[in-house]
Amino acid sequence: MNQALPLIILATALVPSLITFFLAEDRVWVRNALNLGGAVLKLALVVFMLAEVGRGQVYQTEFELVPGLSLVLRIDALSLLFVTLSTVLWLLTTVYAIAYLHGGKNLPRFFGFFSLCVFATTGIAFSGSLITFFLFYELLTLATWPLVVHKGDAASIRAGRTYLGYTLTGSAILLVGIVWLESLTGPVAFAAPPQLAGLDAWSLRAIFLLLIAGLGVKAALVGLHVWLPQAMVAPAPVSALLHAVAVVKAGAFGIVRVVYDIYGIALVQEIDMGLPLAAIASATILFGSIRALTQHGLKPLLAYSTVSQVSYIVLGAALFSQTAVVGGLVHLVHQGLMKITLFFCAGVFDERAGVHDIDEIDGIGARLPWTSVAFTLGALGMIGLPPIAGFASKWYLGTGGLEAGQPWVVAVLAVSTLLNGAYFLPVLYRIWFREPGPNAAAAETEGPAMLLAPPIATAALALAAGLFAAAALSPLGWATLIVERQYAP
Amino acid sequence: MIVSGPLLPFAALALPLLLGLLAAVPAMRPRVLMLLPIAPLPALALALSGPTGEHTELPVLLLGVRLGLDATGAMFLGASALLWALAGVFATAYMRRTHKREVFVAFWCLTLTGNLGVFLARDAVTFYVSFTAVSLPAYLLIVHDATREALRAGRIYMILALVGETSLLVGLIIACAHADSLVISQVRDALADAPGREAALALMLIGLGIKAGLVPLHVWLPLAHPQAPTPASAVLSGAIVKAGIFGMLVLLPAGAGMANWSLALVAAGLGGAYFGIVAGLGQNGAKAALAYSTVSQMGLMIAAAGAAPLADAPAEFAAVIALYAVHHGLAKGALFMSVGVAGQVNGRARHALLAAVALLALSVAGLPLTGGAVAKTALKSGLEGPAATLVAASAAGTALLLLHVWVLLRRSSAHGSRPGRLLWAPFLAAGATALVLPWLLAPAVGVKASYVLSAANLWSATWPLLAAAAIAAAVIGLRIGVPRIPAGDLVVVAERMVPPAVSRRPAPSHPGPRRGMRRLDPIDRLERGLRRWSTAGPVLLGTAVVLAALFLA
Amino acid sequence: MILPALAPALSVAVPLAAAFLAVVAPRPRLLVGVTVPAMLAVMALAVLGVRQGGPLVLAVGGWEPPLGIALVADGLSTAFLVATALTIGTVLVVALPQFPIRQNETRAGWAFWPLAFLLWAALNAVFLSGDLFNIYVAIEFVTLATLALVALEGKAKQVEAAMRYAMFALFGSLAYLLGVALLYAAHGTLDIGLLAQLPAQDTASLVAAGLITAGLAAKTALFPFHAWLPPAHAGAPAPASAMLSALVPKASFYVLLRFWFDAMPEAAGAIALQLLGALGATAIVYGSILAVRQNRLKQLVAYSTVAQIGYLFLVFPLAGGSAEPQPWTAGAWTGSVFHAVSHAFAKAAMFLAVGHAVLAAGHDRMSAMDGLTRRMPMTAFALGVSAVTLMGLPPSGGFTAKFLLLTAAFASGQVLWAAIIVLGGVLAAAYLFRPLARAFLPDRGRYGTVPRAQQALPLALAMLSVVLGIVSAAPYDFLQTGRPAAAEEGLE
Repeated sequence: MNQALPLIILATALVPSLITFFLAEDRVWVRNALNLGGAVLKLALVVFMLAEVGRGQVYQTEFELVPGLSLVLRIDALSLLFVTLSTVLWLLTTVYAIAYLHGGKNLPRFFGFFSLCVFATTGIAFSGSLITFFLFYELLTLATWPLVVHKGDAASIRAGRTYLGYTLTGSAILLVGIVWLESLTGPVAFAAPPQLAGLDAWSLRAIFLLLIAGLGVKAALVGLHVWLPQAMVAPAPVSALLHAVAVVKAGAFGIVRVVYDIYGIALVQEIDMGLPLAAIASATILFGSIRALTQHGLKPLLAYSTVSQVSYIVLGAALFSQTAVVGGLVHLVHQGLMKITLFFCAGVFDERAGVHDIDEIDGIGARLPWTSVAFTLGALGMIGLPPIAGFASKWYLGTGGLEAGQPWVVAVLAVSTLLNGAYFLPVLYRIWFREPGPNAAAAETEGPAMLLAPPIATAALALAAGLFAAAALSPLGWATLIVERQYAP
Repeated sequence: MIVSGPLLPFAALALPLLLGLLAAVPAMRPRVLMLLPIAPLPALALALSGPTGEHTELPVLLLGVRLGLDATGAMFLGASALLWALAGVFATAYMRRTHKREVFVAFWCLTLTGNLGVFLARDAVTFYVSFTAVSLPAYLLIVHDATREALRAGRIYMILALVGETSLLVGLIIACAHADSLVISQVRDALADAPGREAALALMLIGLGIKAGLVPLHVWLPLAHPQAPTPASAVLSGAIVKAGIFGMLVLLPAGAGMANWSLALVAAGLGGAYFGIVAGLGQNGAKAALAYSTVSQMGLMIAAAGAAPLADAPAEFAAVIALYAVHHGLAKGALFMSVGVAGQVNGRARHALLAAVALLALSVAGLPLTGGAVAKTALKSGLEGPAATLVAASAAGTALLLLHVWVLLRRSSAHGSRPGRLLWAPFLAAGATALVLPWLLAPAVGVKASYVLSAANLWSATWPLLAAAAIAAAVIGLRIGVPRIPAGDLVVVAERMVPPAVSRRPAPSHPGPRRGMRRLDPIDRLERGLRRWSTAGPVLLGTAVVLAALFLA
Repeated sequence: MILPALAPALSVAVPLAAAFLAVVAPRPRLLVGVTVPAMLAVMALAVLGVRQGGPLVLAVGGWEPPLGIALVADGLSTAFLVATALTIGTVLVVALPQFPIRQNETRAGWAFWPLAFLLWAALNAVFLSGDLFNIYVAIEFVTLATLALVALEGKAKQVEAAMRYAMFALFGSLAYLLGVALLYAAHGTLDIGLLAQLPAQDTASLVAAGLITAGLAAKTALFPFHAWLPPAHAGAPAPASAMLSALVPKASFYVLLRFWFDAMPEAAGAIALQLLGALGATAIVYGSILAVRQNRLKQLVAYSTVAQIGYLFLVFPLAGGSAEPQPWTAGAWTGSVFHAVSHAFAKAAMFLAVGHAVLAAGHDRMSAMDGLTRRMPMTAFALGVSAVTLMGLPPSGGFTAKFLLLTAAFASGQVLWAAIIVLGGVLAAAYLFRPLARAFLPDRGRYGTVPRAQQALPLALAMLSVVLGIVSAAPYDFLQTGRPAAAEEGLE
């Protein structure tokens, strides 16, 4: 059972994906049943596993492809953090996507790749070795691209080109880093980090830079983030997937793995890479927020907000402090819940009222109250207002920054909070306090339950994650468990 | 167990929150205002039952919630809960005809929860969360009328509230990181010698000072308090601003190391007290002038809070400040409600109202025998030297400012048709409590009636009033005009200076199509050449020769 | 067991017989229906035999070398045999409706079948020959069949392309033959196994090596001798292109591999190896850049072949040099074979899929791809999957190959080649992006379609290249059967 369970969980996403590709367009029920069934089954298995892993169980499966290239699936607490997030959000996003894309074209293709993305994300989370991670990481790139270009218009194709250009170059760099590292140490498994201490510091630095640069493309570190705002042309469920469930998270997750499970934070400090990484993450946080200020489209604003927020995770990993890494890890979940809420809502605004730009959103709160409430919760959480989840991340990151002897981190967090307020609050103001504009006036009534339930659910989860942060099974509780179990000195 | 320890503190917070949620239920809509007076009752009961010995803990909530109540907290909690309840009654009548009542009620309850939470919190996170809950939802109370002015006030409030939030958060994080604990008393003690103490204190004081109306961070206050519907103004000025003072009392560490901070706070507080008076005298509206009076009174309390860390017995002095806050909160709440009542009544009732307002105003100015005198005497007892004198002298200014309010109120016209009784009752109750309650609480904070009634203290309470009367007579007699000062003073200047900075430049959301790849003509030429046999043949031959040569080498 | 021992002979004899029958009794449906399953069965036998008993050696006529000639099937040659069988088998089934014989008797329809079977037989002969002269003969047959296939439809452009190919191939053959003659003069044998035992460091041998290498490089279309390839492959009908692009260059590369690693592992000089690597690297970059610039689908795919062939030649510098004793340094050799095989699957699949798209659109401009995901999803999918292999992305045989090559590059400290390998992947993405992206565009105009069963075949072939990446342990082990020592220790 311990051998098979990771494979079974992977199959819950892969099998629906493969079958969906070959379904005819009009077999809607079969398609929906498959995808939802897979998601529910996966959720059930993950919940079972949460209990088992919480008790200290570790699942591992391994088979060799060629010498030096083994597929290692290993489920530890950190994997499960990511998997649980992606599983819950997958279910909700599937529900949302079914309603959002209802009656659209090319849906078998869409849902096929959608599930394939989730499969790849799960694989990333389960990866027990660096090369396994890379395999799934690349698969994710490939499976996401058809979703980005799903609309099939010129803008999508352009966005797709940028996306592929950045991500493929990123993975190429990552691959160089991986192979270089493995040529020095042999295959790298997360469970048994290689003995790097004796190696030449400059090689270690170069490899570290390659790995981080490769992962940084997906994590949208500043300078490597260009694809993310452009990819906004994709349909809302895809944006949700890119920003909250899979892609940027995969990058950030990878960085955590590199820093903590390969190098070890102490070594990262020793080769003087911690501070630069933290600095880049901070620069990204500020850059994203400042760019978000000047956007006039709603989705670009959210995209730059993601650029900013995902670097919280990187920042947490880069600081030499257990508290900070708890903050970073928990933000993986918190940001996911909040950002997916925002994207769900942006999709509903678009779908129901044709809102694309911020100045079209005036007075929408009166027409789409529930969606607007969910959006508001998400936005306030992003700013970091308690008791919505975001503040807990910020608290831990700030405390961690001080523990690590980097008090400037707190200033970065503070400025970011203010900037977040500066770009989100005017939007909220327009939603609730402006007279309804033409879009709001022409808006349809609030949509079908399947379109409405996911944002409300994620908003509620974001609120609950903050409100019950101290509970053992909250994201924060789990992140603390990870750090205590895996990274405690 | 989810909750350990006494349940009442938890209930005091949970009930308003639940009622706030209940307000969102459509079926509740017709009777939604009835929720307002009920919401603070458990907190009132808790305050009346006095300080709790043990803490209430809810380990799964937030980062582990810890609630408790000491003597100072009980006074703050009791007075605030009472004022919220009375203002709630007031609102049931006042808000009856307005739109979106359910929104008002929901956010009223949320703000109330936050306000009570600040007084009950015994851990830094709960304190911070409560502080946020009392700050941000209040925005909805301020902008409820959705007029242009209200929205402007709301915007300025929001900006400052957010800055305050962030500052407080950062300050708390610095303190907690050093304390390695979230328990407020430990955090405060750790702060005394924490590295980065100055930064932490400065940031916390910015956060708390914005809330408490510390000049020059007060600018939102004279804009927001008048723009809110009257019951909301009452709680804003009477209860919510007290969260800032309370925060200073629980977070500032005691000890000689605080001398500089103490001096700075005393100076800023006293400066604010006088600034508020001057600016308030320049106002046209009764509520704006009252708001400046709040700035002034809060200045006195801030000065006292600044002196507390150096006091011989900081805890006792904190209780004295709490006493002052109790009186001011109830009196100021009542004064704001009086503006609402004045809008409704005519004839004899109006005269009665003006008389009552005059009495309350004198109480705030410290007229002997009123509750205000008790509070002010007690406060002065803890201050020394010039500070004490300045506090005493400020009473003259307070008297003048409130006289100004009284005049403005008398001039205002009644136009409403709201039910009078439900407006009168809470006004009178709040006013009466303000006059009486300090006498009842004084023994508990160590102030004896005989001390208040001693000749020296009677005189020090009386001469400022006489001076005020003299000045007023002179001003009226000589027809000296008072320059008008726009409400919000400094922010008006700032608004003119700052262009609309945060305007969104219309940036194209997608960059234009990239230019196609430049023609790589040399490559094309090369390819054509290689395709010709006349080129390829020699190349092939050459390669064979080179390879052979290389092997031979 | 006698049957496995017969497998080498059968794998040449069966397609040869089919070629004759195709001339005599032109019934392609029956021929394909019998030959393809039969060949797959033979392949199964060969694999079984090699797995159980090591390399199969069949001395033709019972004469051992050097007197007689031998057919040798070790892991390497069997791998190529199987790849050829799977590729050509699929291509032939796809070609059935495209080259019908009965309805309208065209030269193309009549000639395709015997030529295809001949090519198959000749390729298998190359892979099985253990003797340099036999190889020469087999390679000439390959060239001949290829020439005819290029000129199949007899259009002026095709004939021109065929002529150009003929010139290049002829020179290649001449150089090779000259080299072989020199070797024979020096050593009196052309058997690879025997040559390996000789100390081949004399001048004649080395000049011969240079000639043979240059000749084979021209036939493999290594830069700068690649210019014949794109017009020839792009001009031929799609099924023919699929075989030409996927297999024909591999045949001459296979001979190079045999020659260097089996026959003369001692001959190579470090600089010569680096030169071959440099040519390969140039091919990767140059071919990719040209591929990006093509506006015709088949031209693009053909230039992609030019680029992909470059990877194969990196094996020479990577397997040379002073490899650190790591457990997987032998990877370069295995990696290049992996690359050859997975590229064969992927490129054949891509040509077939493009062929379907072109059939449906009636032209091979980029717009043939418009709306492909909607019109012919399986074809689009086949293109996508084969693109994954060509880009060397996981999970695919292309990735496994790239990983092995990269590891070898780092292990031997040749970072430059590693950079080229990685860059090549990105460039592949660049040239494959345009057609793939257009598949998502809405289609304008009228398009025909292709039956679903036909569409499925390229997809199956493309999936094979992916499966090779997922289940790579068994093929890896299999390749090690009879692996030359030089593949492990590196060329000198």
